[in-house]
Amino acid sequence: MKKGRTRNKKDSGFSLLISIILVFCILGSVVFSVARKISIEMSASAIQSLSESLDLIKCTIEAILKNEAEFQKLIAHETAKQEDMGEYIRSFQKNQTMVKISLIESGEQQGISNTGGVFSEEELDFSLGKTVEGLAISQSYINHMGTWAYTMKCPVVKNHKEIAALYIEYVYDALDQSLPDGFYNKQAMLYIMDAKSQRLVLKPKGMGERNAGHLNLKDFYRANDIKDQELQREVTKCLKSGKNVTFYHDIREKHSLNYIWSVNDGTVFLIGYVPVEAVQQEGRYVNQNILIVVIVMLVAFFLCCLLYYFNHRQQIKLRKEREAEREIYNKQLSDALQAAQIASNSKTMFLSNMSHDIRTPMNAVLGFTTLLDKDAENPAKVRQYTRKITASGQHLLSLINDILDVSKIESGKVVLNVEPFTLNDLVSSVDAIIRSMANDRAQSFHVEVSGIQHEELLGDETRINQILINLLSNAVKYTQEGGNIWFRIQGLKQRSEQYEHIRIEVEDDGYGMTPEYLETIFDAFTRAENSTTNKVQGTGLGMAITKNIVELMGGTIDVSSQLGEGSLFRVELELRISENRADRQFWEKHEISRMLVVEDDEENCRNIEMLMKDTGVVTHAVKSLEQALAWLSESGRQECQLVLLDWNLSEAGGVFAAEKIRKVLPDTVPILLLSDHNGDEIEEAAEIKNVKILTRPFFVSALKEKILEIQAEADGQTAVLQENVYSLEGFHFLAAEDNEINAEILSEILEMEGASCEIAENGKIVLERFEHAPEGEFDAILMDVQMPVMNGYEATRAIRALQRADAVKIPIIAMTANAFAEDEKEALDAGMDVHMPKPIDIELLKKVLNQCVTRKEQDIEDQLEKI
Amino acid sequence: MRINWKKYRMRLAAACLAGMTVCMAAACANLGNKDHNLIVSEEENEKVVNFFSPMEKTNPDAENIARSASDQTVCMAEEKLGIKVAYRTYTAESYQEKSYDEVTLERVRNNLDDFYLLNPNTIQILGEEGRLLDLSGLSSAKNLREVVKTANTVDGKLVAVPQEVVAYGLFINVDLFEKYDLELPETPKDLLKCCKVFQENGIDTPIGANRWWLENFVFAQAYADLYNGGNTEAEIEALNLGTSKYSDYMRPGFEFLKELIDRGYIDAQKAYVSEAIDGEGPDFLAQKTPIVMAYWGAANAETAYGKPDFELKVIGFPSSRGQMPVVSMTGYAVGVDAEHLKDAKDTLDVMLSDEALKTYTEINKVISPSKNVEVECIPALKPLNDKIKENVYVLGSNAGMKVEQWGNTCQIVRNLLNGATVDQCMAEFDRLQQESLSE
Repeated sequence: MKKGRTRNKKDSGFSLLISIILVFCILGSVVFSVARKISIEMSASAIQSLSESLDLIKCTIEAILKNEAEFQKLIAHETAKQEDMGEYIRSFQKNQTMVKISLIESGEQQGISNTGGVFSEEELDFSLGKTVEGLAISQSYINHMGTWAYTMKCPVVKNHKEIAALYIEYVYDALDQSLPDGFYNKQAMLYIMDAKSQRLVLKPKGMGERNAGHLNLKDFYRANDIKDQELQREVTKCLKSGKNVTFYHDIREKHSLNYIWSVNDGTVFLIGYVPVEAVQQEGRYVNQNILIVVIVMLVAFFLCCLLYYFNHRQQIKLRKEREAEREIYNKQLSDALQAAQIASNSKTMFLSNMSHDIRTPMNAVLGFTTLLDKDAENPAKVRQYTRKITASGQHLLSLINDILDVSKIESGKVVLNVEPFTLNDLVSSVDAIIRSMANDRAQSFHVEVSGIQHEELLGDETRINQILINLLSNAVKYTQEGGNIWFRIQGLKQRSEQYEHIRIEVEDDGYGMTPEYLETIFDAFTRAENSTTNKVQGTGLGMAITKNIVELMGGTIDVSSQLGEGSLFRVELELRISENRADRQFWEKHEISRMLVVEDDEENCRNIEMLMKDTGVVTHAVKSLEQALAWLSESGRQECQLVLLDWNLSEAGGVFAAEKIRKVLPDTVPILLLSDHNGDEIEEAAEIKNVKILTRPFFVSALKEKILEIQAEADGQTAVLQENVYSLEGFHFLAAEDNEINAEILSEILEMEGASCEIAENGKIVLERFEHAPEGEFDAILMDVQMPVMNGYEATRAIRALQRADAVKIPIIAMTANAFAEDEKEALDAGMDVHMPKPIDIELLKKVLNQCVTRKEQDIEDQLEKI
Repeated sequence: MRINWKKYRMRLAAACLAGMTVCMAAACANLGNKDHNLIVSEEENEKVVNFFSPMEKTNPDAENIARSASDQTVCMAEEKLGIKVAYRTYTAESYQEKSYDEVTLERVRNNLDDFYLLNPNTIQILGEEGRLLDLSGLSSAKNLREVVKTANTVDGKLVAVPQEVVAYGLFINVDLFEKYDLELPETPKDLLKCCKVFQENGIDTPIGANRWWLENFVFAQAYADLYNGGNTEAEIEALNLGTSKYSDYMRPGFEFLKELIDRGYIDAQKAYVSEAIDGEGPDFLAQKTPIVMAYWGAANAETAYGKPDFELKVIGFPSSRGQMPVVSMTGYAVGVDAEHLKDAKDTLDVMLSDEALKTYTEINKVISPSKNVEVECIPALKPLNDKIKENVYVLGSNAGMKVEQWGNTCQIVRNLLNGATVDQCMAEFDRLQQESLSE
C-alpha cells in the first residue's frame, strides 16, 4: 500500500516535471518564433533603413553634382559671352568646391587655367563616359593640392557653335562637408569610390587602422576579410552595371551590412559597412527588453519553483518534526498513561489492600465491642477484649501514620529531629520489638555489632528506629517460619573524625524477591505480591518511607535478593559523634579502672576494647577461663574491678565459669555474663552474688546500666516507675469537641483518670465559657480544631486576646485529627501550648497535661516569689 | 542572544521583494514629456584639429605598435585640451602614383590641414618655403637634444619636431653569418666579401632592398667623415657656399651601390618597385636573405622584424669609419596658415612633452628626441645603440644643408636603380647644388 502510494507520488512528480518541461518548450518555441519573426522583420527593416539612408546620401551627392554641372553650364554660357575668354577664366579665384577652372578653345590641344600654367586634357580621363546633366565627368585623381578631385567638362557654345571646352575641377572634400558627420550613431563607415580606378577617394575622418582598407576596393576586401569570390564577382558585375549591392558580412567580428551604392549612374559608389546592431538599435533594445522580460519571467518562475520547493521542503520538514514530536508526545503520553495506569493500579491495589487492612482490625474492633457488650459482666474477658481492641486500634493507627509519613515525605515536610542517642538504646529497642516477632514465627534473630568506635551519636533516633523496624519487620514478614534474620551494625572506616560511618545490614533467608520487583521496591504503594506474601499485612509504603528517610539523612540504601534464597538490605549512614565526655567520670566514680574480658571470640574482644577505649578503663582480654583464672591468681585479683565473661565460654556454662571466677575474686567485684539474649540464664545467674547477665551485643551504655543496677541492689533501692508519676486526679478541663462520640470518650477517659471536663460544641462557646468562668476554674483547655461557628485556632487567638490574667497562661492543648507538621505549627502559632494528634493516647495526654499544668504552676510560683 | 537567522532571512527576502515591487511600480510610471522640443541637447561644437599623416588613427587593438604609441600621445593631447584630432591620410597605391611626400607638399602649400607628419625632405623644402610654423616657442622644444634641433632648423626656425630619432641600420641574420663563418661587416669591402660568400653559397641576392632606404648606404659613406671628423659645420658651410660639391661626397656611396647592383647583391628592379619592408621583409624572415636595411623600431617586438626565428643584430652601414648608423627624423610640423593654428600648436606641445615622449619611447623602445627621456634597448639593437651613444652616426637629413638630402638622394638612388650611371647621378647632385646656390 505504502509502496503504491510512493509510486503514485513519483508518477505525479514525473508528470509534473514533464508538464513543466512541455510548458517551457511551448514558451521557448513561442519566444523563439516571435524573436525570429522580429529578427526577420528587423533585418528587412534594417536593409530598408540603410537603403533609405544611402539613397539620401546618394541624392545629396547627385544634387551637388547637378548643381555643380548647372553652375558650370552657367559659367560656360557667361564665358561664351566674353570677348577674352582666357582673361575671364583667369579672373576666377578658387574656392572650396571649384579649385581649378580651365579652358581649351576648340581646335587647341592645350588651354589655360585660373591657377596659371598650361592645361591639357591629357591629364584627365573621361573614358568612362559618365555624365552629370549632360556634362562629362572625369575619373578621380589627386590634384595639384594633394587631394582627390574630379573634373567636369562643359562645352562653351556661342551661336550654336562649340567654341571651347570649360573644365572645372572639384574636390571631394567639398562633398565631405555636405555629407552627414557619420550616420547610424557614427558607427557606419562611408567611403566614396571612384568607379573606374576603384580607388577610395573620400574616407571617413580619423578612421581605422593602416589595414582598414582605405586604398581601394581590393584593399577594402582584404581589410574586411571579404574573400568570397562569388560575392566579389557579383559586386564587380554590379559595379559595371551601376547597380547597388548590399550583403551581410562580419566586420571585425560584428555582424554588418556591407553596401556598395551607385551614385550618378555609377560614376562613383558609396562603399562601406554598418554594424547591424547600429541599424537595429531600437530592435536591439526591443530584443533586449524581450530577453529581459523572458529572463525576468524565467527567474520569477524559477523563484516560484524555488520558493515552492523550499516551502514544500519546509512543510515536509515541519511535518516530519511534528510527526516526530507527536511520536514523542505519544510515547510520553503512552508512558504517562502506563505510569498512570500503574499508579492507578498501584493505588487501586493500595486502596484495596488498605481497605482490607483497615477492615481487618476494624472488624476486630467492632467484633470485640460486640463481644464486649455481650460479656460485659466478665471482667477477665472484658480486659482480654479491650487489649485486642487496643491492639487492633494500634494497628489501624500505624496504617494511618504510614500514610501520613508518605504524604509528608512526598511533600518534603519531614524535618529530622537530631538528638543524642546511643546505639545501645537503638539496638535494644529494635531487638525488643523484632525478637518477639521473630520468636512468634520461630525465626532466629541474630544481632551483630562490630567495628563501632563510638556508640553515642547524634541523629533522629526515631527515624533510624523506623528504618530498622521497617527493614526488620519486613524481614520477619517475608521469611518463612523457622528462618533466620541477621541484623548487623558495622563500623566502617571514618571519613571524618567527627562522624561515625556505619553500615546496617538486614539479611534474611526468606522468600526473596524477583528482579522485577527489586526495581520497584522503593516505589510507594507497591508490595511484593504472590500467593505467599498475600498473607502478609502491610501498607506497601514501608520501603518507600525507609528509602526517603535514608536519603534525607544523606545515606544510601541498596538491596540484593534472590528469589527463594533471601534478601539483603544494606544501609549506610554517617552520624555525627556525640561530644558527651562524661564517661570517664562515671568509671572514676564507680572506681572501675581495670576490667577483665574473658571471650574466646577475638572480634568480640576487639569490639569491646574499641568501645571501652574512651572510658579510661583498661581491659585485659583472655580467651579462656583458665587464662582468666591464671591472670587473676597472679596479679589481676587486686587490679580487676569488673569481669565480662562470655556465657558460652565453657561447655559447663556461663554460671559455672562465673562461679569459678567468683572463687578467686571477692564478691564486691561484679561479674557480667555476656549472653545472646535474656532467658533462663538470668535465674541461674541470680543465684551467684553480684553476677548479672549483659545481653549482646556489647555496648558501654548497657554495661553502665548494669553497673548502676548492681549498685542500686547493693544500696537496697528500688527503681521508681516513671509511669506512675503522671496523674490527672482532680483536674478540671474545658474541652472543645463538636463530635459527640469523641466528646463522650474524652469525658469518660478523663473521668476514669479522676479528672472532669466541660464539653463545648464549638470555639465560640469555649471562648464565652472561659470568658465568664472565674479564674482558676479550668486547669487547661482541650481544643479541637475543626469545629463549626468558630474553629480552634480562632478560639485560641480570641482567648489569648482576652483581658484576663490567666488568658495567656492557661494551657491550651490542640487535640485534632489534623496530624501534619504544618497543622502543629499553625496550632502553636495560634497560641496553643501543645499539639496532640488524635486518637488520644491517654498516657501521652497525662504526661503532657501534667507537664503543662506543672510548668504553669511553677511559673506562677516563680512570679509569686518575685513579688 | 541567539539570532533567529531563518526568520531574519525571511524578513530580508520579504523586504527585498517589497523594495523591488516599489521600484518596478515606480519604473512603470509614465513621467510624460514635459518639453515640447524632443531634442534633449545638441552636442557643442567640437574643437577639431586636422592632422595629415601617412598613418591613420588606430583602434585600441591596433596591430601596429608604432601607431599605437603615437596615438596614445594624440589621445593624451585630446584629453588635456578637450579637442578632437581628425586624421587625414594618403597612401600611394603604387610607385606610379604621387608619393606621400608629393601630396604632403601640395597639401601644405594649399593649407588643407593644420599639422602634418613630414619626412625630412619635405621638412626642408617646406621650411625653406616658409610654409611651416616656428616651433621653438613650444615649451616641449626646450627639452630637445641639440642634434634634433640642428637637423630640423631651417633659416633659424625650428620647423619640425620628431617623436623619435630614427636610426637606420643593417639588419643581420647572425645565424647565416655564423653558418658561413663570416664577420659582421665594418667597411664596404667587408660587405662585398660577405655578399660574395653568400652568393657562392646559393644566396643569389644577399641584400634585400626597397625603393626607400638604399640611400642609407650612400649617406654612411658620404658623410662618415663630415659628421665624425670634427669639422662638420665648416664642411656644411662649404657645401652651402658651393666651395665643395655634394657629388664628391656622394660618389663613393653611389659607386659602392652600383657595384652591389652590378654584382647582383641587390636586385635593382625589384627594389625600385618595392615598398618598405613589404618587398624584402618576407624573404629576410624566411632566412632567404641575410641582410636588409630598416629603421630602429622595426627590430622591436610586435613590429616588422620583432620576432625572427634566428638571431638578429642591427649594425650600422659600412663606411670608412666602420659601422655607421644613419639618423633621420620624421617630424611634426604646423602649417603657418593653419586654420586651427593655436590648437595645433597646443596639440603638438602635449604630444612632444616629456611625459608623452616617455610613453612613446617606452612603448616603441626607440631613441627619444628629448634629452630627458632614456630607455633601455633590446639586445639586437645594442651594436647600433652603442655607436649612437658614442656619437658615431651620420644624419640622413639636415635642414642646415641647402640641398635637401633625404628626398633628393632617395630619388637619385631610384634613378640609379632605374639604370642611371653614377656620373649621371652625380650630375643631378651638381644640378641641385647649383639650383640651391642660385636661390
